[in-house]
Amino acid sequence: MADRAAQIRLRIRELLVGLFTDAGFLSGVPDSVSLRQAGVSSNALVSLLVEMEDAFGFQWDDDVRPEVLRSIDSLADHVLALAA
Amino acid sequence: MPGYENLSRLDLTYREDTPRIATREGVEIYYESRGAGTPITLLNAFFLTSPSWRVFTEELAKDHRLISYDLANHGASSHVAEEPTWDEHIADLIALLDALEIESTYLVGVSTSTIMARDMALKHPDRIKGIVLAGPVFGPKGMRRQRQVQRAWLRTLENHGIAALYEHLYPEVFSAEMNEFLGAPGFLGFREAFTALSTVEDLVNGLTRAMNDEHKPDMLSGIRQPALVVVGDDDFLLSPTGAKELAEQLPNGRHEIMATAGHVPYVDDAETFQALLRKFVEESEANG
Repeated sequence: MADRAAQIRLRIRELLVGLFTDAGFLSGVPDSVSLRQAGVSSNALVSLLVEMEDAFGFQWDDDVRPEVLRSIDSLADHVLALAA
Repeated sequence: MPGYENLSRLDLTYREDTPRIATREGVEIYYESRGAGTPITLLNAFFLTSPSWRVFTEELAKDHRLISYDLANHGASSHVAEEPTWDEHIADLIALLDALEIESTYLVGVSTSTIMARDMALKHPDRIKGIVLAGPVFGPKGMRRQRQVQRAWLRTLENHGIAALYEHLYPEVFSAEMNEFLGAPGFLGFREAFTALSTVEDLVNGLTRAMNDEHKPDMLSGIRQPALVVVGDDDFLLSPTGAKELAEQLPNGRHEIMATAGHVPYVDDAETFQALLRKFVEESEANG
């Protein structure tokens, strides 16, 4: 389970990095840090959510709570919970 | 059909190098000035901030001077103890125009700020070349509906917070077309922006202030400048018929309906909105 969580976090980070031409600012951002505070715009977040649907084979629901979208950690936890 | 390309490039960051302009004691206004030519001043609704105008007005900025700014107590402008009255917001705008050496301007009000556009045209006709009322919050017979909506939003905000307010207003303000196009990722992603843009206090004060207006249909007969009413045909507050009747109350008024657009029509279709504005300004200038 721990390996699976680490893989999901890594994949989310890859998707996020792929959204920026210069993603250097993300390299020092821990998985637990708020994406907004890290400088990820709302547009980039929307794009990330779309990419995650394709990458992990699920669809987002309007009921998702704001805290789920906070960080790479919380996004990964959501994906993991869906798969459980 | 709009492609929402502009929305995908929405940039809400503030420019750090822009000097604030002092308008009243204790009040400094954040503003942006882009382009050169006939001035067009863009008024924010309470939920939106000055930077949000950039991606929706790029074409107009090529040959017009566009001024956008944050109202006092909102965004990056000063926050004072009391929510400003409409008259104080108007005083801020006059001071801003003075500081920027703009003698007169076209004024674009959107949603709540259509109240301010109306009042500017009535109280300072010499400073206003024409007004655009995009998604007006008053109809041809009054604004009871708007006040009821604002009250419901206010109660949601006070009882359940900003995220709940967003969930309440999103399906009302934005068109069905846009809602379907953006899907859940758009709904969720832009919720992050909305909750970060404003504080509960700002929104409570702004919504309370927005309800504090007594629109009377005969007020519009005093507006002599050219006026354009722009309404999306999916605007939850004002129907195309209502927009036509509202424009008819303006002595020099006309109306335009934007297909599939919602209450903030330029978000749905920035290209068409800018084309309508350009045509309105060009024709108004030609008629001098």
